Amino acid sequence: MAVQVTAPLSGMAVGLSEVPDPVFATAMVGPGLAIDPERVLSTVVAPVSGTIAKLKPHALVIVADGGRGVLVHLGIDTVHLDGEGFRLLAAEGDSVVAGQPIVEWNPADVEARGLSPVCPVVALDALDGSVAELAHGPIGLGAPLFVWN
Amino acid sequence: MTERRVTVASPVGLHARPAAMFVRAAAATGTTVTIAKPGKDPVDARSLLAVMSLDVRHGDEVTLTAEGADAALDELAALLASNLDAEPAPNA
Repeated sequence: MAVQVTAPLSGMAVGLSEVPDPVFATAMVGPGLAIDPERVLSTVVAPVSGTIAKLKPHALVIVADGGRGVLVHLGIDTVHLDGEGFRLLAAEGDSVVAGQPIVEWNPADVEARGLSPVCPVVALDALDGSVAELAHGPIGLGAPLFVWN
Repeated sequence: MTERRVTVASPVGLHARPAAMFVRAAAATGTTVTIAKPGKDPVDARSLLAVMSLDVRHGDEVTLTAEGADAALDELAALLASNLDAEPAPNA
């Protein structure tokens, strides 16, 4: 069953190769896309319906029906911010629907700290070639991002 | 069944980047490897979703288990005992 992954943020959809972290850029974490977010106070929403398997201020994993995990990483090296500037709007274990608010943050603040606010959205444990219909360019909140076949 | 106990050295634990490097190495062994935290069921070390969900923090002791594969387990244990976040990412 294919899973439609939608944009957890608005901004510009770019290839993972443009992420300034080789582990994401070489798809070691998994295939997917990145979103270069608008530099304004933003609400990050669930990219799929499912259960919040992991929720850190700077990263979240939602497992869709069928056990597929989608990772959203809010900026690069943002683990070192220790949650500063992130406000959680949901909790680990919550059932969510696509589009439901999860975290509030401001990419401009992350950038001001010298970190990249680019957000990889990754299909965890995905087979090679299983991700298709990748978006490119300007993308609105909740718009189709990619399909996980 | 072979086991290794190792204390995780990455300051940030097994979050996205160190977890991805560990899972990639576990998958490369070609054998079934599990990772467990005390009091929790072992999970498939080749699944990034499983490893990230395990929520391994800096200083946690984890148990790696595999059928045979001593050398592979030694390598994986050494990876976890190193600061994966400080090392340059491999050229994949």
